[in-house]
Amino acid sequence: MEILRSGLLQRALLEVVIVGATCGALGVWLLHVRNAYAAESLAHAMLPGLVVASLVGAPLLLGAAGGVLAAAALIALAGRDTRVGAEAAVGVTVTTAFGLGAVLALAPDVPARLGELLFGDLLGTSTPDLVAAGALGLLVTLALAAGHRSLAAAVFDPVAAPSLGVHPGRMQLALLALLAVAVVAAVQSLGNLLVLALIVAPAAAGIRLGASLRAQIAVAASLGALAGLLGLVASAELDVAAGAAVALAAIALWVMAALLRPAPAGAGAGAQGTRRSPLDALSG
Amino acid sequence: MSAAVEVAGLSAGYGNGAIALRDVSFTATAGQAVAVLGPNGGGKTTLFRALLGELPAATGSIDLVGMPAYVPQTERSRLDFPVSALDVALMGAYARTPWYRRIAGSDHALARAALERVGLTDRAGLRFGALSGGQRQRVLIARALVQDAGVLLLDEPFAGVDRTSEEAIMQILDELRAEGRVMLIATHDVEQARRWDQVLCLAGSQIAYGPPVDTLTNAVLEGTYGEEIVMLDCGHRAVAIQHHSH
Amino acid sequence: MRWLTDPLALPFMQRALLATLLLAVAAGLLGTWIVLRRLAFFAHAVGTATFPGLVVAGPWGIAPPLAALGAGLGFAGLLARMTRRGVTSADAATGLLLTAALALGAILASDVYRSGAGVDRLLFGTLLGLGDGDVALAAGAAAAAVAATAALARTWLATGFDPAGAAALGIRAARGDWLLLALLAVTVVAVLPAVGALLVSTLLVVPAATARLLTESLGALLAAAVALAAFQGVAGLLLAYHLDLPPGPAIAVIGGGGFALAALGSSLRRAR
Repeated sequence: MEILRSGLLQRALLEVVIVGATCGALGVWLLHVRNAYAAESLAHAMLPGLVVASLVGAPLLLGAAGGVLAAAALIALAGRDTRVGAEAAVGVTVTTAFGLGAVLALAPDVPARLGELLFGDLLGTSTPDLVAAGALGLLVTLALAAGHRSLAAAVFDPVAAPSLGVHPGRMQLALLALLAVAVVAAVQSLGNLLVLALIVAPAAAGIRLGASLRAQIAVAASLGALAGLLGLVASAELDVAAGAAVALAAIALWVMAALLRPAPAGAGAGAQGTRRSPLDALSG
Repeated sequence: MSAAVEVAGLSAGYGNGAIALRDVSFTATAGQAVAVLGPNGGGKTTLFRALLGELPAATGSIDLVGMPAYVPQTERSRLDFPVSALDVALMGAYARTPWYRRIAGSDHALARAALERVGLTDRAGLRFGALSGGQRQRVLIARALVQDAGVLLLDEPFAGVDRTSEEAIMQILDELRAEGRVMLIATHDVEQARRWDQVLCLAGSQIAYGPPVDTLTNAVLEGTYGEEIVMLDCGHRAVAIQHHSH
Repeated sequence: MRWLTDPLALPFMQRALLATLLLAVAAGLLGTWIVLRRLAFFAHAVGTATFPGLVVAGPWGIAPPLAALGAGLGFAGLLARMTRRGVTSADAATGLLLTAALALGAILASDVYRSGAGVDRLLFGTLLGLGDGDVALAAGAAAAAVAATAALARTWLATGFDPAGAAALGIRAARGDWLLLALLAVTVVAVLPAVGALLVSTLLVVPAATARLLTESLGALLAAAVALAAFQGVAGLLLAYHLDLPPGPAIAVIGGGGFALAALGSSLRRAR
């Protein structure tokens, strides 16, 4: 297969497999604490950081890191007023961040790489990029492995956790920090807009298919890596955008998992069945 | 006295086929207050929803005159909503105001009168969420008054309520009974249930229905609450009930 | 005042200004309900989901608003199916579907139709390049928003305030909410030409969220949201003209600044 012959594709493959596996594993935790929205917001709100890094010629990873930190801080601040609500406040932050990123990137006489920042530049993975992704992926994996028992306690039995020496609040923060690291690693391959696919889809599939927590994580990581492989191959064979192909592959895998193993009946049964409003399911 | 609420063989559940409430039959006449006792998940809310017409009855029948007024627990309302106490009371007039008409002046007067009746005239302009738990409960009762319904469904109206509000609410409920309205009061408070006319015990199905002296026996309460109950026997039959936090 | 009168002498600026004001009415009114009924994420997602529709509109010869509407409704329908019966959480499903829409749009844009540079316009709007149809759509959306608010404000407010008790109050909650969703779809499609698929929240959420920090009663909220949206839009438009910036993003930045100021003022007031 051509993919194994070209150095460019080899790097891209390694990168996307590492990123896919890492995001898959982390995503399982994020879904269990019901934080898909936080993932989406952080990943999107860091766009200005990426643009600034691109403009000044700094490594993207640096811009991503700065952007994520700023985004997390702003989101935390914005959500404090209960009248507006956390959901709307996050929306304000994300859309303003998009706007700021676009203003900086689309202003004239600026070499705009906005498309790559938004949708990724998987095929442009350089060796330093690969090394960085590997290091970050390793960091996340080790952190998850080391903290597995504490995380499990915090997530599944938050009431009892403090007596076990685990603080749910701190675990949540730790997860978000790891999310930031994973997003920084993933942004090269999928870009700001599409990272969410690798964070949520393989994890959702893993939760559906795995019988135990460890099984879920293993399945999610494998599916994440598989999505990377499938997407890259599809992109090479069909000549379509690589990052987008990987994102769609991840989502397709999730759809298949959902069809294979439909969710248990009765989940969320309480509110359903009453002739109420279509907004019950949609709104936060 | 004609029956204001007549329920026969009612079973109801949610869409996925699970039956949450089985075989409930009772009759309440005008001026009666019925305490509805039972553990969480035992069917009190299901019964209320069925009476409101939100749940199609799986089997059995419900016979009541008009639409009941519903007084929910205030945590379920949005405390940050831009509505004043008067606005909430006015909502009781919505059913009789077509969408293209403004709310009638007479209904405005009714709302103010209702707020006065629950003792909150001086708080009418405050945001609903800014009121205390007991005051919020009283506003919701005022809303039910404006609705002028013959049947009222109250969901734990005394939960977490301060002394003043508790007394005010108790007084209103007595007045409403005297006016010939029917009230179903979901509660966990067995002692309070004693003062009402009838008690309905629900634990997925109907355990008992009748006057307090007949229904508030150890046997019935154990059948209703199962292991949730702690019974103290010190002369008077005092009962302590543990219930799960919401 | 030249900075104001000079640009407004130009026809395309006049159209942009008119559209902005009309959209301010539509988005300010609807945005109030979006924030009150906790639909901010959903609104953003619907906007983003129109992206693939916009990409294929030209090549397939469909009017962009229709293509956008189709994509948006398709997204909403899929989302409703997935979240019914609590099979998937609303958050995760929304995030996944909107990412799928973006990926699909990216593939269609860069490879099938080779419209690379055009993606920017679809994602961030072309306020300075509006056609008469866009302005007409904005006017329609504004009229619809005014009419719907007048007719349904009570219903929407009561349903949002106490969903459990709405039925007892004689409120047709389901009917009212379907109309709200329909109006949301129409307004999203109307703001797309101006601010693009990624930035619909800047008109639909930001002004209303800022208004929420400034005022309490419903009437004041609605008025403030419209006023803020108008101010934000016009200021962004002028800024974009004079500094040669993309207008949609400029509006977003000004909106964010306004929200930050209001939040600061609000917390200072509370600290006192």
